[in-house]
Amino acid sequence: MSLDFSVLLLFQDALVLGLWTTIKLTLICVVLGSSLGFLVGLARTAPSAVVRGIASVYVEFFRGTPVLIQLFWIFFCLPLILGVELSNLASGVIALTLYMGAITSETFRASLKSVGREQMDACIALGLPRHVQVTSVILPQAVLRAVPTLLSNCVSLFKESALVSAVGMADLMFVGQNISNNTARPVEVLTVVALIYFAIAFPLTRAVTLVEGRILKKLAI
Amino acid sequence: MTSASAPLVSIRALHKSYGPHIQVLKGLDIEMKPGERVVVIGPSGGGKSTLLRVVMGLEKIDSGSVTFGGRPYISSAGAGAKTVIDTEVRRSIGMVFQHYTLFPHLSVVQNLVLAPCKVRGEKKASAVRRAEALLERFGLAAKANAYPAQLSGGQKQRVAIARALMLDPKLMLFDEVTSALDPELVAEVEQVILQLAGQDMPMMIVTHDMWFAKNIASRVIFCAGGVVVEDGPPEQVLGAPREERTREFIDRVFHIKQ
Ligand SMILES: Nc1ncnc2c1ncn2[C@@H]1O[C@H](COP(=O)(O)OP(=O)(O)OP(=O)(O)O)[C@@H](O)[C@H]1O
Ligand SMILES: [Mg+2]
Repeated sequence: MSLDFSVLLLFQDALVLGLWTTIKLTLICVVLGSSLGFLVGLARTAPSAVVRGIASVYVEFFRGTPVLIQLFWIFFCLPLILGVELSNLASGVIALTLYMGAITSETFRASLKSVGREQMDACIALGLPRHVQVTSVILPQAVLRAVPTLLSNCVSLFKESALVSAVGMADLMFVGQNISNNTARPVEVLTVVALIYFAIAFPLTRAVTLVEGRILKKLAI
Repeated sequence: MTSASAPLVSIRALHKSYGPHIQVLKGLDIEMKPGERVVVIGPSGGGKSTLLRVVMGLEKIDSGSVTFGGRPYISSAGAGAKTVIDTEVRRSIGMVFQHYTLFPHLSVVQNLVLAPCKVRGEKKASAVRRAEALLERFGLAAKANAYPAQLSGGQKQRVAIARALMLDPKLMLFDEVTSALDPELVAEVEQVILQLAGQDMPMMIVTHDMWFAKNIASRVIFCAGGVVVEDGPPEQVLGAPREERTREFIDRVFHIKQ
């Protein structure tokens, strides 16, 4: 077989548009999902057993099922239950936000826990009121410690976002599949699409290691 | 101080356990007068840290009471009753821990001004001025903007002491503050504490360092098995103990080091 990458040049604009959709979707769900994850992470360390219980059911459920079925369920079943039409964008955002919320809540929970009892002792010995303990001591350290894992979570989300093509959202994966079908050149097209994903995800995964080293060094005491 | 002056700290029948099986303090009575520097010594696991943590208001107690400057401070009626801690009294006590416990995300000066600004509502500029003066006094002026991770253990511990002093405590608690340090860094921290002693700061100190104990103590308490075994001036407890258990401990722990 002979390879002909020039077909891709014809579809350059479509690919850029698809990539832009993927990036937008990822960014929206990173913001919404990690905010949700932060709250759920807090809820999982809450004194109330009911709050902790609800939060863990959510997290375990979303971590324990494939993202594809979550997406399909939200796209096909939720509208039937709620009686409203959901656009493929809306269901993509909801599904990926819930997914991101579940995985980042674990990240935040671990980082909240890593701010140890000795820091709390120091807070009490200094007479810091509870709200100052939380806002000035616990949260900044927890967020700092969470940064490297959060970056990894973002990379996972970026890759998982390709699933929204299955409900017809015109992201990079969807566009790539279409071009590949229409040109009958799957090798060239799908390889290039894979390389585009890689070109974005790889530097991010490297950044994780770098940032992690720096933060650990800063927080080492 | 005369023996007639009112006690600064008065601990009565203090019982403390961790869970149902670990009884640590079994009826401790200690009376500390203003201006006294009490060194607490005793075998590992004897409850010295627990005692200091209780006085700092960090622990629940089973029963007993602590008063501070004549005011009720900590009490529990016993048998599952709640521990009542007067947090206002607690604010007049400062503590330095074995493992520094600085806030790693804050610079040295930020570590110092956090509590004065947030607890007492002091103006940032005034707190920073006081912090810089303290750092200067402790030989840390050049480190004001460094982060804890950039400091040596001795420097971290001096910052921790300065941080506690920012709140003008009426009593300072030191729990083995030099135990985690490399030997060559011990002296710089002990010097700072001796400097405080020179200004009549009341202190309770747990240490395994004989030289330091002798030089800082106005009184030594030997604690073992959750009770006070011997209590007296340093010349007595460290030099010529009356109790057999104290003598054994001093011989075993301190004299090997000398
Ligand atoms: N948070 C805790 N939970 C359960 N047990 C504890 C806790 N803290 C201390 N203990 C136990 O209580 C006992 C007294 O501990 P404490 O730390 O007060 O002793 P110490 O005299 O300071 O000893 P060391 O010289 O080793 O520091 C020990 O048996 C210890 O294992
Ligand atoms: Mg101890």
